[in-house]
Formats: sequence, structure tokens, C-alpha cells
Amino acid sequence: MSNNNEHILQVKNLQKTYGGHKVLRDISFDINKGEAITIIGPSGGGKSTLLRCINLLEEPTDGEILFHNNNILDSKYDRNKYRSKVGMVFQQFNLFNNKNVLQNCMVGQELVLGRSKEEAEKIAIENLKKVGMEPFIKAKPQQLSGGQQQRVAIARAISMDPEVLLFDEPTSALDPEMVGEVLATMSKLAKTGLTMVIVTHEMGFARDVSDQVIFMSDGVITEQGTPQQIFQNPQEEKTQKFLRNFRNSEL
Amino acid sequence: MKSKVKWLTAFLAFIISLTIGFSFSLHTSYAAKKEPVLKIGMEANYPPYNWTQTTNANGAVPIDGSKEYANGYDVQIAKIIGKKLHRDVVVEKTEWDGLLPALTSGKIDLIIAGMSPTTERRKAINFSNPYRKSTFVVITNRDNKYATAKNLKDFKGAKLTAQQGTLHYDLIKQLPGAKREPAMRSFSAMRESLQSGTIDGYIAEDIEYQSYKRVNNNIVAVNLNKMQGFKVDKNDSITSIGVKKGNTKLLNQVNQVLAGISAKKRDQLMLTAVKQQPQAGNSKKENWFVSIMHNYGGMIARGVGMTLLLALIGTIVGFFIGLLVGIIRTIPTPKSAGKKWGLKIVDWILAVYIEVFRGTPMMVQAAVIYYGIAQLWHLNLNRTLAALVIVSINTGAYLAEVIRGGINATPRGQFEAAQALGMKHSQQMWHIILPQAIKNCLPSITNEFIVNIKDTSVLSIISVSELFFVGTTVASQTFQFFQTYFIISMIYLILTFSITRIFNLIERKLEGPKNYNLMANQIQVEDPKESGFEHEQ
Repeated sequence: MSNNNEHILQVKNLQKTYGGHKVLRDISFDINKGEAITIIGPSGGGKSTLLRCINLLEEPTDGEILFHNNNILDSKYDRNKYRSKVGMVFQQFNLFNNKNVLQNCMVGQELVLGRSKEEAEKIAIENLKKVGMEPFIKAKPQQLSGGQQQRVAIARAISMDPEVLLFDEPTSALDPEMVGEVLATMSKLAKTGLTMVIVTHEMGFARDVSDQVIFMSDGVITEQGTPQQIFQNPQEEKTQKFLRNFRNSEL
Repeated sequence: MKSKVKWLTAFLAFIISLTIGFSFSLHTSYAAKKEPVLKIGMEANYPPYNWTQTTNANGAVPIDGSKEYANGYDVQIAKIIGKKLHRDVVVEKTEWDGLLPALTSGKIDLIIAGMSPTTERRKAINFSNPYRKSTFVVITNRDNKYATAKNLKDFKGAKLTAQQGTLHYDLIKQLPGAKREPAMRSFSAMRESLQSGTIDGYIAEDIEYQSYKRVNNNIVAVNLNKMQGFKVDKNDSITSIGVKKGNTKLLNQVNQVLAGISAKKRDQLMLTAVKQQPQAGNSKKENWFVSIMHNYGGMIARGVGMTLLLALIGTIVGFFIGLLVGIIRTIPTPKSAGKKWGLKIVDWILAVYIEVFRGTPMMVQAAVIYYGIAQLWHLNLNRTLAALVIVSINTGAYLAEVIRGGINATPRGQFEAAQALGMKHSQQMWHIILPQAIKNCLPSITNEFIVNIKDTSVLSIISVSELFFVGTTVASQTFQFFQTYFIISMIYLILTFSITRIFNLIERKLEGPKNYNLMANQIQVEDPKESGFEHEQ
């Protein structure tokens, strides 16, 4: 969790409009190397849209996203290469149904990074070990539980050696008893110094694991700070109101 | 993965060898064209004028593209002409409706098919001098109340029919009060209808009476020519040889040869033909199944082979066409304007292709493509090749939509996950989306295969000797309609049934087991408890 302030990603005045509806109004923040950033806030506040814009699954309407000081929205920018460096873990896991666990973790390495089959397999097994899914390398996604699938999805993402890993509500689709195993895996990853951006409703996780917390509502960043600042001493009324609902139960 | 590759290689080798086989057969047919063979068009299904037989007995002539032979009055006349012109005679077995287009498109040199030179037909082709004069009769059962008709009016209320597209059918109009039933495709069908009582009789020439009488003693012929008020164009009571317009040289040659065949010789030929024509009711009391399979087993087996070949290759090639079209039609809109418009135009063309080939019957497509190409570009397509092309294009149109649906039905998340890894569109499609889409489309593809097995029967219009076409031939020769078609339908059922099972097996194989057997797959693991998580089975 080195905080040498080396910007990997800089989001500047990002806007996203669907029809006439402004989902992201004016978002600016930096992602520093080695940081774990959690984005929290009420549903419909634009958290997931922001994350999907960063990975270009959604096309931003306006603004800039700088990756190592290059604007990825530039028409000449190699988006596929960028995406291979910015991984994504989805709410619905989205493992490739036609491939088994091992192949899921290899296909991107081979096709996008051009690694040899042997190398890809070695890396995949290494990462599957990290998430505790190595015994299941021959299993098909539909044979696994949600928590297991999500751990494989994480292994798939880190097998690409991403500079940044985005998590889009990774535990929201899971049964409660499986949330723990996924969060534990993510905590382990954060400790390795991987740069992570996590949209989550797990307040305990946000408080304990992240370096920075961003509170979003109504398409803007309402408040941003260390977990201590946000959770112990929130300045904005919206943040206070939002956190009050969690305080008794979780924190 | 390796076994997949192996399969694919084997499969490609199979396709390539087939293609080579076809191009060879195409080659030989082109090579044969250089020699002066005389190609005669006939139904080979209209005894005693012409019929099909399995051997070359009694001076029969080979039928092009099959192992069968044609014989009959027409064939004998054709042989005399061929001999005088020093040209080998080959019979092109062609459906009645296909004869004129086959002649005008140059697929055959002469029509010798018991055809009358009606005014209508004279507009399209030329006719030689007659090689046979005939009388018109109504054929009916001996105990039918119209059997004793003396006048044209006596047929009031009689249900009559005749062969489709013949003059005979128009003649019914001259019988006041007679009910004109829908025209039928062949004499075999009319005989069957007469026996089953759905019609009172049918108009034909005296020669049909003579041949039918040999197998059914219970029929009588009511002569129409003698009745007062019966009018027939001189051209209509004769049969002539059809020659393509403009081919005066051949016409003159044919007329010259015909002039040399005496009336006595003609009667003699006809009488022989009537005697030699296929007989119903075997003299030996054989079981019908045994007798049909014994006499026509080989022919039926070749029909099954042709049907399977058409359905299999048609479905496979159609699948690849469908795949290609389906992929192109699901390409996301590109950013640059040029590419955008290019894609739009291609997409529009493909949409038209799908609409046209889904929206018209395959039978019509076959006729248009097979005869149309010959007529417009003078390109003589190999019949089997033409059939394969038609089935493939038709199947492609259907499967294009099936595959497009399969691609669109693949969960959005699969695309997104592949995108997020940085895969290009082609990589996403090839490695992630298509394997899933195709697997989901498999039931529809099976369906299409089964439809093809049955629907290739419409290709009889271009005289491809698939199972149904063979069945028609066998039925018209054995006169055992129910029995023959029963056997044919059983064969169809066995084919479709076994194919359904095979595909179900493939589907289940692709599906894989529902549960993951951890025990069977954990050999590589040093210490499974190491991870510390509970594994669900």
C-alpha cells in the first residue's frame, strides 16, 4: 500500500448521459499505484456506470480518462491493449460457459497477451491456487457455486497481470454464506499491492481494506477520503444519512 | 482440444473428397458432351411409350446419371433415329413438366415422350412429323355406369380426370356435365384413383387402355373419337418428336428417319412395347415386400444414398453459409462512416437473400435455378450438383436466422467479459460466443437436417433420383402403390429417427455432467485442504 502518488488512471470531468438522463454528471478522481479504492453509495448513484466507463464497456459522453497520461478516449488509442491492462470482475461473474476453469484463466493470456500455452497454464494454476480454486480446474462454470465462480473470475482477471483491477459489486449476486470467501480473496489481493477499484455495498470491507473511499450519489462524488474520514467523520449530510443505515448492523 | 482438431480435419477431408468427386463427375459429363450422344428426354414412366427398368434387357437404353435403363416404344424409335444419325442414344429421365424447359435450355436434344404437338407447345418448340396416331378413350371400370356411354352427353355427372398439362385434360370440357377433377401427375396415380373409386374414369389414348388391360382385366375403354360432336385438332391425336426451335438440321434428319419407318413396323414396335412393359402381379406368389426389395432393393438403396447425401451435405454447407451470414449480421456498427455504410449494404443484401429463399418453395427454386441457369447462360449444371447447391442455399437462409438468434441469445455478460480481457471482436466470436451459440442452436440444426431429408423429395422436379423419386418409379412399375410408399415412408422414418438419436447423443455429450466430480479430478492437487474453503459438490 505504497502511496507514492504515481497516477495510473486519472478520471477528468467524466459525464455519461442515457437519452436525456444524466447518470454521471462531472466525475474527477485519480487512481494511484498500489491503492485500493472503494466506491460506495446508494443504488442508482452511478457507481457501476462509472466503473464500466473506465473499462469502456460504456462509452462516456464527455470528459477524459487518462491512463499513464494518455487519453484512452482518443480515437487512435488501442482500446483492446488498454483493456488487457485494466481487468474487470463482474457482479454476475461472467465466466465463459464453454470453457472450464483452467481454460477460463488461459484464454485471455493466450489470445491477447500472446503467451504460450505452457506459460499461460502455469500462470493460471498459480493464480487459481491463490484463490483456492485449483482443485476445480477441470470443472465447467455451471458446476460451481456462485462464490467459487467469482473466485475463478478473480483468478482469470489477475492472470492477465493487470495494472488496475475493477470490481463491479463482486459479492452482490452471492448467497450470504459465500460472500466471505470472495471478500477474503480480495483482501489477500489488496495486500499484494495490486491497484484495485471496488464498487461495493460491503461497508466493513470498505472500511478495513481500502486506502481511499469515494462516496457517490446522484451521479457526482459527494465525498472522498480515507476510510477513517468517511466512516468516522463524514462531512456531508448524504454520506451521514447513508452510513447511518449500516452503522448499527455492520460497523 | 486435440480430438476436436482431429475431427475437424477428418471432416474437412471428407468435404474436400466429395467436392473433388463432384468436380470429376462434372468433368466427365463435360467430356461426354463433346461426343455426339443423342440425349432424349422422356418421363421413363409412361408405359408402353417409355418406362424404367433395372436391366438392359430387350434393347433398353441407359438412363443418364443412374444405373437404370429406359425402354418402350419411344426408346425404340429413338434408337432407330440414333442409329441412322450414328449417334449413341442416352435417355434423360425428366418429369413431364420439365420436358419443355429441358429442351429449350439445351439439356436434351429431342423430346420423345408420347407428346402431342398442340398449338400451345408449338409456340415453344418445333415438332417432327407424327410417329404415332392415336384415338382418345375414357378408361373406366367395367361395372361403372358410364362404361356404356354412347354419346358425349352420357358422361353427365361423371368424375373425370387426365394427366396434368396434357390435352386430355382439356378434352373433358367437351363432355357436357362431366365433373372435371383436379389433373393428376401420372398415369399410375390415375389408375390408383380409378381403383380406389375416387374418380369414375380418365381420358387417355387407346394405347394406355391396352397396356392397363394387361394388368387389370376389369377395365373398359369408351371410344370418344367416334362420338358425334367430338372435336380434336389433327395435331392433338398424333404424337410427335419435339425439337428445339432453330435446330432445323436435326428436325429434317428426324423427319427423314421417321419417313423410313413403315406403318407396319410402327404397329409392331408398339405391340412389342405393350407386351414388354412392366407387369403388375408377379406370376410367382411372392410376398410383396420380398418382391419389391428383391427387384428394386438396389435402386431404393441408391435413392436412400442420394437423399442422405443431399440432406447431409446440404445441411453442412448450409450451416457454414448460415454461420457466415449470421456472423456478418451481428457485427456491431463500426465507427467510421465508410465501413458503416459498407456493412449496411452487405447486411441488406443478406436480408434479401434470406427473405427470398425462405419465402419461396424449394421446388420453385430448384426449377428456376436448374432450368433458368441453363436457359440464360447455357450452363449445363450437373443435376446432383445443382440439387446440392439448391439445398445448401435454402438451408443457409434458414440457419442464418437460427444462428443470428443463437448469437443474440448468448448472455451479454459473455461479450463483456471477453471485451474486458481485451479480445478483438473476431476473437470474442470465435472463442467465446460461437461455441455457445452453436451449441444452443443444435436442436434447430437437427430439425433442419430432418426437414432436409424429407424435403429433398421436391427435387424430383429436376429429376434427381433421391428416395421419393425412386419410390414413384417403383410404384408405377409394380402398381403396388400402397406397398411401395409404405416401404418408402418406413425408410424415411428410420432415417429421421436414427438421426434424431445421433444428434441427441451429441447434444448430451456437449452438455457434460451436471455435477463436478472433485474426487476424479484432484490427482494433480497436493493438498486439497490447503485452500481452507469449503467445496460444494
